[in-house]
Amino acid sequence: MFIPSLVNGITMGSIYALMALGLSLVYGILRILDVANAGAYTLGAYVGVTVFRLTGSWWIALVAGAAVAASLGFILQRFFYVPILASGPIIPLIASIGVFTALEEAYRLIFGPYIIEFPARVPLPDIHVAGVPVRGVQLLIILVAVVVLVGTWYVLGHTRMGLAWRATAQDAEVAQAMGIDARRVTGWNFLLGYALAAVAGVLVSINYDAVYPTMGDMPAYKMLAIIVLGGLGNPLGTIAASLLIGLVETFVAAYVGFLLPRDSIAFVALIIILLVRPQGIFTRGAVAK
Amino acid sequence: MTLLEVDRLTVRFRGLTAVDGVSLAVAEGEFVAIIGPNGAGKTTLFNVIAGSLRPSAGEIRFAGRPVAGLGAARMSQLGVGRTFQVARPFGSLTVRENVRLAAGRHYLANPLAAWGRRGRDREVEARVAHLLAVTGLVGLADRRAADLNMGGLRRLEIARALALEPRLLLLDEPAAGLGVDGIRPLAELIRSLRSQHLTVLLVEHHVGFALSLCDRVVVLDQGKKIFEGTPEAVRRDERVITAYLGESGAGEGAMSGGD
Repeated sequence: MFIPSLVNGITMGSIYALMALGLSLVYGILRILDVANAGAYTLGAYVGVTVFRLTGSWWIALVAGAAVAASLGFILQRFFYVPILASGPIIPLIASIGVFTALEEAYRLIFGPYIIEFPARVPLPDIHVAGVPVRGVQLLIILVAVVVLVGTWYVLGHTRMGLAWRATAQDAEVAQAMGIDARRVTGWNFLLGYALAAVAGVLVSINYDAVYPTMGDMPAYKMLAIIVLGGLGNPLGTIAASLLIGLVETFVAAYVGFLLPRDSIAFVALIIILLVRPQGIFTRGAVAK
Repeated sequence: MTLLEVDRLTVRFRGLTAVDGVSLAVAEGEFVAIIGPNGAGKTTLFNVIAGSLRPSAGEIRFAGRPVAGLGAARMSQLGVGRTFQVARPFGSLTVRENVRLAAGRHYLANPLAAWGRRGRDREVEARVAHLLAVTGLVGLADRRAADLNMGGLRRLEIARALALEPRLLLLDEPAAGLGVDGIRPLAELIRSLRSQHLTVLLVEHHVGFALSLCDRVVVLDQGKKIFEGTPEAVRRDERVITAYLGESGAGEGAMSGGD
């Protein structure tokens, strides 16, 4: 039971990391919790499955899902979030829940309330790790997550764009005085965050062979728990927290599953963390502002 | 040639008029100081020129073009570099990264250009190294900016503003929070900028420090310009002495104190 749980845990953690990273980047710059980000996860899955039926190609589906979701993210921030930012953090949070609900209803109206199959075949073979079968799509999820996460780590830490992001997250006003256009950084942030969520959505729906309107419900709220665990607005901490939650969930479900349902684990961890270490597990020093 | 022209500028906050019809001009290569008692509107005027505040009325022209309300990012790209009154480093970045950030602004505008421009990267790094040397921060370059002392923070503010390669340098109370020991080397640093024909607009509460550096001084009181002239003339001006007397009761003492 150990090896399958490990593989499943890493797969889930990879998915969480893709989704939570976008959310964490957005929080870092705008200090808002964007629940509607999970709407991009579902949108990616629907666009992906539609394109897959037209083209038969999983990777065109992946790219199309990411592109459409990125456009949605850009439009939402420019015409929706940025205009209401001045009203404090609570109003954008409530508004984002409204957007998320509206998106889910839109998917239901357009695509119907039923589960749609996503029977894509990925080019990776099913393999055996220590005698345990690992499906090709799980390998693909882990591979995509590793590439994306290493890429993000590199961009944030080693490029001027990353430097601009870190500076804007820390003090947007000073960053502007240094010639950095905070609006542009914000725009890129949402493009990237929504694209990442869509990639996760496409991969998950291939993995479970299912797309449905409410598939974003669980991720929407679980991601909030994960980015708090990772230290709000701390991208690398968020990745670590995602893997941790993915693994803990899977192991608890496998070994002591009778104790509590799997989807509650992230929230139990959230409550413990808020009591014991409110700045997040992976943030050094004092509570972030 | 006039580089900066402020024309009948007014800034109101909910009925309070912080800047009231102020006009001034700064010629290329000139060093102008704005002084005045607390609440005179110095910092408000400064923030409008830097682009972070929108004026209620009036116009600002920079190198001949109207710029009022363009925003701080655009102003810094046009060539206005500023420091902040309360030093605001990016604390978790190193001193070098702080300077590099400002030095790289031209291609930060396009984040995809962040890769593969080795030639430009070297050029930027050379400029960063030069600025760290000029401002005496070389030994501290790889420390976190949050660990600098007050003097170091003041120098970092100036290094960052210079990294923008500004045509106009705006210094917002660079001596604030410094003791006599810190002020002298800072004055020397600012004087050395003068010799590079940089145009500087200095806002300063510390009168002696400002007068020892500038060519021309503008005095604000309660949002209005009450004097404009040489540092020698300002010490004898009745209105200026009265304005400072009203504030501190020190009069001549306040005007001559400092450096």
